[in-house]
Amino acid sequence: MKIPLHMAKEKDLQSAGLVAVPEKEQQQALLKGIDEYRHWARSIMVMLETCTKCGACANACHSYLGTGDFNNIPAARADLFRKIYKRYFTWTGKTIGRYIGAEDYDAETLAKWVTYFYQCNECRRCAVYCPFGIDTAEITIAARSIMSAIGVVPRFMTGVAANMIKTGNNMGIPKPATIDCCEFMEDEMREETGLEIKIPVDKPDSDILYIPSSADFFSNVDTMIGVAKFFHAIGANWTIPSTVLEAANFGLLFNNDAMKEQNQRMRDAAKMVGAKLVVQGECGHGWRAAKMYTEGSNGPAPFGIVHILDYAYQHLGKLKFEKLPWRVSLHDPCNYARAGDIIEQPREILKACVTEFVEMTPNRERNFCCGGGSGILMDEMMDIRMQLGKKKAEQVKELLPLDFLATPCSICKAQMPHVMKHYGMEDLKMGGVMDVVGKAIVLA
Amino acid sequence: MSSIDVKGQQIEVDEDGFLVDPDVWNQDIVEAFAKLEDVTELTEDHWKVINYLRDYYKQFGIAPMIRKLCKDTGFSLKQIYDMFPSGPAKGACKLAGLPKPTGCV
Repeated sequence: MKIPLHMAKEKDLQSAGLVAVPEKEQQQALLKGIDEYRHWARSIMVMLETCTKCGACANACHSYLGTGDFNNIPAARADLFRKIYKRYFTWTGKTIGRYIGAEDYDAETLAKWVTYFYQCNECRRCAVYCPFGIDTAEITIAARSIMSAIGVVPRFMTGVAANMIKTGNNMGIPKPATIDCCEFMEDEMREETGLEIKIPVDKPDSDILYIPSSADFFSNVDTMIGVAKFFHAIGANWTIPSTVLEAANFGLLFNNDAMKEQNQRMRDAAKMVGAKLVVQGECGHGWRAAKMYTEGSNGPAPFGIVHILDYAYQHLGKLKFEKLPWRVSLHDPCNYARAGDIIEQPREILKACVTEFVEMTPNRERNFCCGGGSGILMDEMMDIRMQLGKKKAEQVKELLPLDFLATPCSICKAQMPHVMKHYGMEDLKMGGVMDVVGKAIVLA
Repeated sequence: MSSIDVKGQQIEVDEDGFLVDPDVWNQDIVEAFAKLEDVTELTEDHWKVINYLRDYYKQFGIAPMIRKLCKDTGFSLKQIYDMFPSGPAKGACKLAGLPKPTGCV
């Protein structure tokens, strides 16, 4: 079968600290990977062994609803893993394999895995509807991590990983460029407000370490500006780190070791400036990684971790706004609403900033993914990405006209303009929640 | 890895069609990329954007913020899309010989 992704070659793997396994050794390496994974993450066995194929997940999944591909039904996708697991790790699978749905590893196994585990956005909506609470995202995370350890990974992921190793961010922004960007944004804010609002880089003795998405230093400028204005308004002693200018943690999306290493970067950066609090910027899965896996990755952290939308919400009463005359809705990023407890905060912030806030349906933990989740942002996947974004487009269409749609996650911000254009809504303005804060806030 | 033919010379590009080695960049390559990116005619304005991107990349090793590109060249984002239909990150950076901006873009 033809894999719809550009796969990493040896050189790409090397630059990301990974190695290629020769084809004839792949089966053994994959099975070894599964064996190791099931021992340190026993939850994966619960996910694999309890599914009854009831089908409740099918209509919950935007990937299946958008592509109509059987293998994108969460239970069927997980079955690609389950068949191999059963065949080689259960006694029934070893003895009467074909009667209980076990399947031998063959030449198509890895092609199927990589194709379909990279059409799952790891959005966890299926887990909300599964009567057993089976979380396909966990299975996808495991499958991708096991595959990358044997050199089977999209080139997009290794490109991002190589940039992270080299520069400390996904885009590959070196420190002098970071400083240039900050000066540019400071100039912009000075022209707009007449105030000296700083974006400090690696400032020693900072109370707060703010970790932005590196995309805020390329396309999502208003998010970073909104955050800088907010910190200015509350008189915060803060800085951004040049060593980890990245709220995203793509390790969660393709390789657990890479996730741990990036998490260590955050700790080192916080220690370097003496921060008591790490504030994570607008990034969905990165928030999940920071909130849920910091302690599991590298032990207890000597600082607090909070999301910028939670932190801004906590300070809402101290801020002054001049409400924007806008009709605004919120797209809940999956990892906020289903993995990170950021649900009501963005709503309350938006209500304070604009005259009309409307909900899309469904919303909160039942919201549909934008279709780019889990780093499915490859150009070669554009047709599939548009199918993955179909449910989102339908949700947004029902709300028009809108003056602004808040999509407070960098993956959503990258994916949504393509989806909106594809489904005939290219004029819709979108951006982060902190973008709106930056525009509505009244500074002294 | 593949390559494109530029006046009889094979130039190496990655799977997204971006130059593998930014140092081999020259005017002939820009013209070849222009056809692939639906840029019908390379005007003075196109060159202003291309040269700005190259200068910034030479100095900082990365593409500039899109808003900075607009402000420093005096073009609106819409004008840049009119000139380079696939946008500043794809079309303009490709013609300027920069690596493809990656991450959440």
